[in-house]
Amino acid sequence: MTAYLIRRLFQMVIVVFVVSLFMFFLFNIAPGGPLTGLQQQQRRITPEEKARIRAQYELDLYWPVRYTRWLVGQPQGPLVIGGQEWFANVPMGCYLEATPEEGGGCADYVYLSEMPELHPPIKSSRGILFGDFGNSTVVQAGRPVWDLLASRLMATVELQVISLVLALVIAIPLGIYSAVNQYSKFDYTFTTAAFVGSSMPTFFFGLLFILLFTVLAGRAQEVWPWWPTLPPGLREAVRPYDVASWLRVQPGTPLDRFLHLLMPVAVLTIFSVAAWSRFLRSSMLEVLRQDYVRTARAKGLVERLVINKHALRNALIPFITILVLQIPIFFAGAIVTETVFAWPGMGRLYFDALNRSDYNIALAFIYVTTILTVVATLLGDILYSVVDPRIRY
Amino acid sequence: MTATAEPLAVAKIPREGKEESQFQIVLRRFMRHKLAVAGVVVIVVMFIGALLAPYIAPFPRDAVDIAVATRPGPPGTMSSAGEMHPLGVDHLGRDLFTRLLYGARVSLSIAFIVVVVSELFGVVLGATAGFMGGWFDTFISRLVEFLLSIPTLPILLITASILIKTDAQLPLPAFVTGFVSWMLAAPPQEANKVIVLMAILILLGWTGAARLMRGMALTLRNQDFVEALRAVGASNTRIMFRHIIPNGIAPILVNASLGLAGIVIAEATLSFLGVGVQEPTPSWGNMLSTAQSYMFQHPWLPLVPGIPLCLVTIAFNFIGDGMRDALDPRLKR
Repeated sequence: MTAYLIRRLFQMVIVVFVVSLFMFFLFNIAPGGPLTGLQQQQRRITPEEKARIRAQYELDLYWPVRYTRWLVGQPQGPLVIGGQEWFANVPMGCYLEATPEEGGGCADYVYLSEMPELHPPIKSSRGILFGDFGNSTVVQAGRPVWDLLASRLMATVELQVISLVLALVIAIPLGIYSAVNQYSKFDYTFTTAAFVGSSMPTFFFGLLFILLFTVLAGRAQEVWPWWPTLPPGLREAVRPYDVASWLRVQPGTPLDRFLHLLMPVAVLTIFSVAAWSRFLRSSMLEVLRQDYVRTARAKGLVERLVINKHALRNALIPFITILVLQIPIFFAGAIVTETVFAWPGMGRLYFDALNRSDYNIALAFIYVTTILTVVATLLGDILYSVVDPRIRY
Repeated sequence: MTATAEPLAVAKIPREGKEESQFQIVLRRFMRHKLAVAGVVVIVVMFIGALLAPYIAPFPRDAVDIAVATRPGPPGTMSSAGEMHPLGVDHLGRDLFTRLLYGARVSLSIAFIVVVVSELFGVVLGATAGFMGGWFDTFISRLVEFLLSIPTLPILLITASILIKTDAQLPLPAFVTGFVSWMLAAPPQEANKVIVLMAILILLGWTGAARLMRGMALTLRNQDFVEALRAVGASNTRIMFRHIIPNGIAPILVNASLGLAGIVIAEATLSFLGVGVQEPTPSWGNMLSTAQSYMFQHPWLPLVPGIPLCLVTIAFNFIGDGMRDALDPRLKR
């Protein structure tokens, strides 16, 4: 087991390393980054000015150099050993690119000895391995990325926890009931509905909800003023609004928050229920065929006890691993659902950052999500061998 | 439903002495899955619509009908020139039925190309890895493990968004671009962008088939018939392509059919978020994306691309389910 754990940990480090390196490579070929907006605003921008702005975002450095600075905060300057500077004139980047008339290439290199002056340590990140994710460049320019992520985390956790609890409460009894009554009318209806539910695209489901409970309900309200509608997006309202003629909601109140939660939670819950109850049903069917269930019945145990004590507990074992794989979602959120409902959570922040080329945010998000995903996978494998002693590594 | 009733009745007639072929057995079992047969009907209808899009579409793909007063206009909108738009027009005044047909062509073509290429890729790599073993097997297995252990959606989003912003192009021979351009019924410049999108989906999508095929190859290579083949002097290539792969193809077919649904959803999601198929190329996903901004005034708008999208994903899933039942050797008859 120890050897297995060490090997897995080693693989995890490699996965995270490769993913972050690949992201850096991608950003390197991405056009402009923070410069895109600038170029649109001011067409006549001199090469010197452009170089200065590029340097401000460290875009003058070569991407492997940027990568190590992002990862561990190095190199900050020449290596000083015994009072002597080493590698001082190794080029680290290109401050000013040469025009095609000058033959291309680089007109002014950034040497390692110039680094402390051009990119002082105060302005750069100490490295993501030391917990410094750098600063946001576009979405909220200058604000530390970590701070920005933390401010969005609660909205995502709120959404995910509520829908997780709801989904569990609904999915477990549904799956069990339909397995115990296999081939009944309920079972057929339920399996078909769950199958259809889990094969629809999430975002269209979200749109359909908004269409039904906001748009069409709004039309109904014009005819019958007592008909309630739901707010289509965001976490809380900005100004007071009318749900129906008999209910006026003040922004920021618990009722307001509850109403905003309803639709995104419903979408997430329906999808989890559809997937999990199908899984539980097949897992339960598997267990019900086992010898020990027959033994329990043979010794005269009440059917309720057979199901709840003997079968259910064993059927839940494989389900644990599925639940553990949900861990990264609590950080990353549901990107699509959050975008559809304009929910101010992590997923939407990530998507905003991508659209507006704020790569520090996107990188931090991918980095943390990848770590959580590999950790969750390992945790799932370990838990599986803990709850099921037949499996050994 | 008349189409489903007939084969079912045939299946009940006792057969006398005549052996059924493997294909007939599978077909008969598939026909028993009514929802899967309904799925086939849906897909065939959509497929014909997509294939004939340039001929049955009432308007050119990007034509803006300036004679329409209300944009977006509801189904049955008449232009002042007396032309009817059966499903209405979008915010620019383009005919929605036409865009829907061309969108079907784009969405279904992407799904088919991506699934065929990634399954082929996965089958060949997986079979080679399982059959050969050694360093190649280790390499492929690690690569698959790696691709399965990364958070797919965030990475898909970031890659697609950056590559689409950069106008990246793959160095492909002209006939490939030409073929894709014909498949999409779109000009080659647009096809180039879609090829990049398809490449990303293929790179992340071949792992399932590779894993399945590797597993099959591992069990098959130790069986007696492989030994016998070696004894009669068959080459490794021949054993692999003529014997190992055909023997392990059943789970791949199921995987491919479920994969089609997955890719349709993935493409629609990416296009909906604005990092997939780009305007003016129509796809169901980007039609939904524009529909979202107008749905408060025009509630029918998201339903036009949304209903066929849901029908297709559900149909592919049912077909996959039916094929799984039909090809399962544990279920007799």
